[in-house]
Amino acid sequence: MIRIEKLCKNYAQKKALDNLYLSISGSSIFGLLGPNGAGKTTLISILNGLTPFDSGEVLVFGMPLSSHLLEIRRRCSLIPQSLAFYDNLSVIENLNFFAGVQKIKGLEKQKNINYAIEINRLGDMLKQKAGTLSGGQKRRLNIAIGLLNNPDILFFDEPTVGIDPQSRNEILATIQAFKEDNKAVIYTSHYMPEIEKICDQVAIINAGKIIKQGDISSMLATDGQQISIELYETDAALLKACCSAFPVLSISGPTTLTLPAESEALLGELLALFTSKPIKIKQINYATTNLESVFINLTSTEK
Amino acid sequence: MFKSMLIKEFLLVSRDKHALAALFIMPCIFILIMSLALKDVFNEQKSMLSLAIIDAANNSSSEQLISELQDNSVIESQLLAIDNNDNITQIGSQFLLTIPAEYGDNSDVVLQAMIASDVTQNILLLFKAQISQIVMQQKLTDLNKQQIAIAKKMGESEPEAITFSQDDIINAQYANLGENQKPTSTQQSVPSWIVFGLFFVIIPMSTIFISERKQNTLMRLSAMNITISALFAGKIIPYLVINQIQVWLMIAVGMFVVPHFGADALTIGGSLPALFILSFSLSLAAIGLSILIATSVDSIEQATTIGGIINILLGAIGGIMVPKFVMPEFMQELANISPMSWGLEGYLDIFLRQGNVADVQNEVFALSTFGLSALLIATVIFKIKLRKVA
Repeated sequence: MIRIEKLCKNYAQKKALDNLYLSISGSSIFGLLGPNGAGKTTLISILNGLTPFDSGEVLVFGMPLSSHLLEIRRRCSLIPQSLAFYDNLSVIENLNFFAGVQKIKGLEKQKNINYAIEINRLGDMLKQKAGTLSGGQKRRLNIAIGLLNNPDILFFDEPTVGIDPQSRNEILATIQAFKEDNKAVIYTSHYMPEIEKICDQVAIINAGKIIKQGDISSMLATDGQQISIELYETDAALLKACCSAFPVLSISGPTTLTLPAESEALLGELLALFTSKPIKIKQINYATTNLESVFINLTSTEK
Repeated sequence: MFKSMLIKEFLLVSRDKHALAALFIMPCIFILIMSLALKDVFNEQKSMLSLAIIDAANNSSSEQLISELQDNSVIESQLLAIDNNDNITQIGSQFLLTIPAEYGDNSDVVLQAMIASDVTQNILLLFKAQISQIVMQQKLTDLNKQQIAIAKKMGESEPEAITFSQDDIINAQYANLGENQKPTSTQQSVPSWIVFGLFFVIIPMSTIFISERKQNTLMRLSAMNITISALFAGKIIPYLVINQIQVWLMIAVGMFVVPHFGADALTIGGSLPALFILSFSLSLAAIGLSILIATSVDSIEQATTIGGIINILLGAIGGIMVPKFVMPEFMQELANISPMSWGLEGYLDIFLRQGNVADVQNEVFALSTFGLSALLIATVIFKIKLRKVA
C-alpha cells in the first residue's frame, strides 16, 4: 500500500529524513514509533502531501505521490493530534462542513456521515456544540471527520493525547474496527502499551531512519530478549571502567547490568573479566521485555 | 464546496457575539450618534454666535440695532443692564457688544466689542460680517427714510426701500446637488461609518482564521485537497456577502432610523451600480487586509490588538473620525494613503455629489488593487507558515 525508498528531507542544516526505506502492506494497523524529532511528523506530512520531499521515491497505492497527489489524498485521511474542527459548530454541522468541502454529496455523503457517527458513537450529541463535548468525545469527533471520505488509509497522529483511560480504550477499539473494514491505519504514539495492544506491525524511526521494522511479536522475540546480570555491591567507578569495553552492555542500576540476548557470546568474556576483578555476580537471568524497553534500547544504541 | 464554506462562516460569525457587535451594532450606533451629534453643524439656521449687549445709548438707533440683532438667527443675544460689571468670561458669551452713548446721533461713535479669548478667527470674521451687515442695513434704512422725506417735500413719488438681504445678493448652491438641496449630517456620517464598519471584519476574520491555523484545521483542509486559493476564496466570498449586508443595514439605519431621532434622513443621491461596485471593492480591500493580518500574526490576541490599532489609525488618517476638510493641508495629503479615505471619497461622491460609476472608478481601482495586493502577500506568507506547521 505504501512503499518508500531512499527518502530524504532536509530542513536548513538538519536532516529530517535520511535515506529512509519503509514498506507498509494493506489492511493492518501499523505503528510508527520514534523519539521527539526523529522524523515521524515529517514522514506523515510528506505522505499527506503537506511537505515536499527532497529526493527518493514514495509510492502510495502503487502511484507516485508527486504525480498523483490529488488522487492519493482522496483515498487517505489525516487525523491530526490537535482537535482540528470548529468549536462553535455542532457535531453534525462540523461533519456536514468537512464532507461538503471534500465535495462529497448526496447519498454518499449521508452514508459516510452515518458511518462516522455510528463507529464513533456520536449519535446522542449531534446537535451539541463541539466546544462543549468532553475530551474523549472531541477526540471521537476528530476521528469521525477523518472518516468522511471513506479512506483506505488513515493516518493517526497521537490520537489519544490528554484523555482518560476509558475514552482511550474506546478510541483504540474504534481504530481496531477499521482493520475489519479493510482500512489501513498508520498510527504514531508515545504510549507503547497502546502500540502493543493494537498494532500488527511497527517501525522504529530514529534520526530520520527506520532502524527496525517488523511485527511486534518477532521484534520482542529478537530485540526484546535480554540477559540481566545482578551483582553484589560493587565499586561504581570500577564497574563503569569494566563495562566501557562492552558497548552493548548497559548499566541499568548500581548492581544491575543488561545485555541483549543476541550478544550472548560476550557473556563468557564478561564473566572472565569480572572474575579477575573484585566484582561478584549474584545471579544471571534471561528475560523477555516489553516494546518500550526494545524502543529505548534501540533508540539509545543508535544515538 | 463554497456553499459549505459560506454556511460555516455565517454560522461562526452569527454565533460570535463580539463579531456581531463589531460588525453590525457598533457601526449602526455610531451612525445614529454622529448624525445626531453633527446635526447642527450642517444647519444654517443654527445660532453660531453668542452675544451679550449693553445699551449705553438707549435711543431709537440702539433699539433698532438690538432688535435686528435679536432677530438674526445666527446670533444668540442677551441684553445686559447698563451697570453690569461682569467680565465676558462671567457672562459666558463669545462677544460683549457695547452700544456707546450717542450711537446713531454722532457718526464718530462706533460700536465696542469685547471678544472672549477662545474665539477663533473664523468665528470673529463671521461676527464682524454679521454686525457690519446689520449696521449697513440700518444705515440704508435711515438713508431711505431721509429720501422718502425729501420726496414727500418735493411732491415726488416715494423711492423704493433698499434692503440688504443675502438672498438678493447671492444664490448659494452646493455642487452636484439639486436646487435647495444641502448636505446633512446623515449624508456625511453614514459613509464614514460604513467604511469604518466594513474594515471591522479584521477582528472576526482574523480570529477565526488564526483559530483554524492554530488548531491545524487549515492543515487538515489542505490534506483534504483544498487549495490555498480555495481556502482564501472560502473566506472572501462569505465576508463579501457579510460586508454587503453591513452596507445596506447602515444605509437603512440612515434612511429609516435616524429621522426618528430628529436628524435628516439619508438619501442615495448617486447611482446604485456605483454604490454596489464601490462597496464590493471596499470590501475586497478590507478582506485583503484582514487576511494579511491573520496570516502575519501568531495569536488571536495579536490579531485583535494589531487589527484594532490599524483600523483606528486608518480611520483617523482617512478622515473617518475627523472630516478631511477640517484637517491641515499636510494631513489631507497624508489621508490619501489610507484605503478608508478612498472608500470614504467614493461614498461621498455617491451620497453627496450624486456620482455615477465613472465618478468612483479611481477609488474602485485603488481599493481593488490594494485588496488584491494584500491577498497576494498573504498567500506567500501563508504558504511559508503552512509548510512550517506541516
